[in-house]
Amino acid sequence: MTVVRRYEVQPDEPVIHLHNVSRAFRKQRDYDRSLQQRFLHTVTRRRRPPVDLFYPLKDVSLSINAGDFLGVIGPNGAGKSTLLKLVTGIIIPTRGDLSVNGRVCSLLELGAGFHPDLTGRENIYLNGSIYGLNRREIDERIEQIIDFAELGDFIDTPIKHYSSGMYVRLGFSVAIHTDPDILLVDEVLAVGDVNFQQKCLRSIEGFRERGGTLILVSHDLGTIQSVCTRAIWLEDGHIHADGAPLDVSMAYLESMAHREHTQSTESDATTRRWGTGRISIEAAELRGADGQVRDFFHSGETVVVRLHFRAEGVISGPIFGLAIHHQNGAHLAGPNTDFDGLVLGDVQGEGWIEYVVPALPLLEGVYTLTVAVVDATNTETYDYRFRIGQFRVLRGTATDRYGMIALGGYWRTPVIPLSSPP
Amino acid sequence: MTGITELLSPLHVTARVRELWRYRELIRNLLSSNLKSRYKNSALGFVWSLLNPLGMMLVFTIVFGFLMPDVRVENYPLFVLTGLLPWNFFQASINAGMYSVVGSSNLVKKVYFPREVLPIATVLSQLVNFLLAFAVLFVALVVFQASFSPWLWTLPFVILIQTVFSTGVVLVLSTLNVFYRDTAMIMEVVMLAWFFLTPVVYSVALLPETISVGSFTVPLQRMVYILNPVASLIAIYRDLLYWGYRTDIDFFVRTALTAIAVFAFGYWFFLRYSDQFGEEL
Repeated sequence: MTVVRRYEVQPDEPVIHLHNVSRAFRKQRDYDRSLQQRFLHTVTRRRRPPVDLFYPLKDVSLSINAGDFLGVIGPNGAGKSTLLKLVTGIIIPTRGDLSVNGRVCSLLELGAGFHPDLTGRENIYLNGSIYGLNRREIDERIEQIIDFAELGDFIDTPIKHYSSGMYVRLGFSVAIHTDPDILLVDEVLAVGDVNFQQKCLRSIEGFRERGGTLILVSHDLGTIQSVCTRAIWLEDGHIHADGAPLDVSMAYLESMAHREHTQSTESDATTRRWGTGRISIEAAELRGADGQVRDFFHSGETVVVRLHFRAEGVISGPIFGLAIHHQNGAHLAGPNTDFDGLVLGDVQGEGWIEYVVPALPLLEGVYTLTVAVVDATNTETYDYRFRIGQFRVLRGTATDRYGMIALGGYWRTPVIPLSSPP
Repeated sequence: MTGITELLSPLHVTARVRELWRYRELIRNLLSSNLKSRYKNSALGFVWSLLNPLGMMLVFTIVFGFLMPDVRVENYPLFVLTGLLPWNFFQASINAGMYSVVGSSNLVKKVYFPREVLPIATVLSQLVNFLLAFAVLFVALVVFQASFSPWLWTLPFVILIQTVFSTGVVLVLSTLNVFYRDTAMIMEVVMLAWFFLTPVVYSVALLPETISVGSFTVPLQRMVYILNPVASLIAIYRDLLYWGYRTDIDFFVRTALTAIAVFAFGYWFFLRYSDQFGEEL
């Protein structure tokens, strides 16, 4: 095992290099810890039970070059945090070689090391030196740091009186102004209000322009696709895929969907369903424009919802409907055949009906689909299947970024624009 | 696990020392925030670092000066102070330094920096306290017309030697305390014993020159100095400030070498295990 840590980026060398790196942890952390235990084992000459190890990372090799913006995706427990901790130097590999060339700054623990009794200004010096800056370097940056953190007069107040927002803003501000070569981000940027988040994103763009290297761990594939130039999919301590963020997220999603499908067939009972059953909705499928059944789509693409039904006997004029909820529970849409003026005739046996969305207005996120069929007077529910399926929307052609839907509107003004939208 | 040979390689050690030098600003800031937070919430603030040894001096003067006059040395209060202040510095360094890593577990688990910064900053902040208290003692010595040694100019070196020695011990103890919290419990007793085995409140001349253990004759007075570097240090302080002697140069050098050896071992020991602090805490 060797670990090399230099504080300058080396030309012709990757910024971060892992060669067959494994990291083991004991399963029982406090096992055999006290002297008493050791002593007893020695005296009784009993062999100590073998240590039970698990490996969050197994033989991982990875080279990250200067300027790479690497996204790391994978399920919980895949080894993502272990990877970040290795890069920061908080832990060392059990086996394998690791080299880090450049100053690392982690946004994982904003404000770690702040001293509550000291003022904001004093804490900037303390925190800056934790990141390895000297006094002169901090002197040069202090005005920018204070400015960025938007603390105003509070800068000379002990930070135990700060709100949590002020605390994190100061932490971020110090971290980003240390001019790191390597920035580690773990799902953060949920820092402060929307304005401040904007500022954080802008400063990360500035970091990119200066040629910085970023590692971003996130469950939000959309963020990874929009921020990163490269992505790895980490699972069970191995790198399953390494490449363009879009390709890697697709591969990951497909694997996840496959797994969810196998699980959901067993847990069907937990999805809520009621109705008289005179017409039952057997299945609901989501298809792309090409007719492929999928559970992820890009904003703006054509999506077709196909409901497969079966009627017991002849039913006249049923109304089919569906509802789309955001994962946070917001009810976004609820079209049905009645509202859209489609009056069905007699329905008999098996059949299908489709709802076509020419351009999906949803923005990135996870959405659920609920489907229902009721009688012509909306007094008898034949079948209601709450959250029969879920799908994910990725950032596509839509230029909107915030919220859940793209309104599809446009701007106009008497001011002569310098450029017009494409 | 880094091999022992690799750790001892000059390349590795210079890399670690250079890294430590990069973080000198952190040592300074930890030092000043230690001091600031210590005095911020107490009404008397810094005065406490003076009142504490003065109070102890009073206690020992009453106990040994009046209740047990046999132990009495001429100008006993000054005698006690010249030993007690360095001893307090040593004891405070050990007690605070032992917890320097464990007490900063939040930081150690979250951010990387050379971990030796923590014990070093702790010992240095005790040094600052000591120097402040010492300045006051110095005034007292002048007022009471103590006999200063012509070798008084060596005093800064003595303080340096003590700092190096204390840092070495603290490096070992702060490491052990990460892995075995028993260390702190054991040290409570050890420090008490150490205090009485060090001629702080009594003069070494009070000890029998030799004692017999079975058929062996042990030169007790010499042993105290050989086995106990703190006793040697305090003897030097007293030579300079109380007795007005000139310390033998070989005694001085021997004490310095012991301190350097202890520091080198402590630093090696700390580097050997500090990589594991992040996961053990």
